[in-house]
Amino acid sequence: MAAGREAGHPGRVTELVASDITKRFGRTTILDGIDLVVPGGEVVALTGENGAGKSTLMKICAGLLRADAGSVTVGGRIGYCPQIPGLFELLTADDHLVMFGRGAGMSRRDALDRGHAILEEFDFPVHERVVTRDLSGGTRQKLNLALALLADPTVLLLDEPYQGFDRGTYVNFWDHCETWRAQGRAVVVVTHMLAELSRADRVVELAAHPSRQHRDEGP
Amino acid sequence: MAEMHGRDLTRRHVALGLLVALPLSFYLASSSLVAGGVGMAFAVSGATLFSILSSSEVDQRLVLGGYRPLELLLGRLLFLAPLGTAIALGFSAVMVVGSGPDRPWLAVLGVELVALQSIPFGLAVGAGVPRELEGTLVLIGVVGLQLALEPDAAVSKLLPFYGPQEIITSGLSGSGPVWGPLLLTALYGLALLFLARLFVSRRVEVTHHARTGTTR
Repeated sequence: MAAGREAGHPGRVTELVASDITKRFGRTTILDGIDLVVPGGEVVALTGENGAGKSTLMKICAGLLRADAGSVTVGGRIGYCPQIPGLFELLTADDHLVMFGRGAGMSRRDALDRGHAILEEFDFPVHERVVTRDLSGGTRQKLNLALALLADPTVLLLDEPYQGFDRGTYVNFWDHCETWRAQGRAVVVVTHMLAELSRADRVVELAAHPSRQHRDEGP
Repeated sequence: MAEMHGRDLTRRHVALGLLVALPLSFYLASSSLVAGGVGMAFAVSGATLFSILSSSEVDQRLVLGGYRPLELLLGRLLFLAPLGTAIALGFSAVMVVGSGPDRPWLAVLGVELVALQSIPFGLAVGAGVPRELEGTLVLIGVVGLQLALEPDAAVSKLLPFYGPQEIITSGLSGSGPVWGPLLLTALYGLALLFLARLFVSRRVEVTHHARTGTTR
């Protein structure tokens, strides 16, 4: 699929183009010729059975994993929220904000101001100086999500970002997806929550590679 | 990065205590300065190993966020080098009083070099061996061999702490080579740093995709 302005969405700029992505681990094919195109201002829900390669595709799009074939182009900065929060156990949320902010060229003050603003939108207790080891799973995930949003990314790759969220925060997350859409960001959310698929502009279902599907043997 | 690694380690009070206690206990148990020095290697390289293994999931994300792999390495070096030096100095003070080396300054230098050599060694093992159990076993194997082997053994001369071990021995006895082991230590340290950099770069490799040519 050609990059640039997408034919089906006149006036919208294509922010993420993944073409013909193939990935194998050893002799196991996980992804085979997968395409994913996401223009700015669109929320795409990526679904599929366990082991279909959703997280693998996200990591390839983020640049954390190298595809065996295919290419990825992006329109700007990527914000990636992994399924499992990668955090330092004995650092606080502020420590993480400063550290990730510095990597993006932000001053300490800017990183904390912006990080706190994001965290407060998800009801994170910003004024409690607690190391991440002592946070609940859902609270850690809020920090995980905030770190992905900190540097004002153009493309958001969110791998089940709501794990551990309470119902209110979960609804709040999908409200934010609409805000990100309105801001022109390209948003990809890996989700198993079928009830919220209507809030996405498009649902892409990834099926496990045929070589990995088990067949029932007859008697 | 150095600041954050410093905060992380200084909150590990038990680990800090063990960093100090390990070389001391080796020394006091054996009355051997060489054993104490090698115990220092266990402590500092162990701390270094776990500093890199415990952040393996975060490091790649940091590179995605804008850090260069070299910055991740230097951040650890900038924090661990002064810490290792401080621990070595403290241990050296005990050693000078307890063992009465003929050339105390040389013995202290040898202990300091053990601490400093432990850092690139720990970084190289941590970056090159991706799992905690395997990395720990490599560390135990190398440092343990250094402790167990006679200094004259050919294999001993191939291990990373041979140079500092020789300098400690020269400091204790008042005679023996200095410049040769010093040069060997420097070369070994540089080689380990090079390996660490190579392994870290591979481990946290991030593909920065081509742009679609859009603006926002």
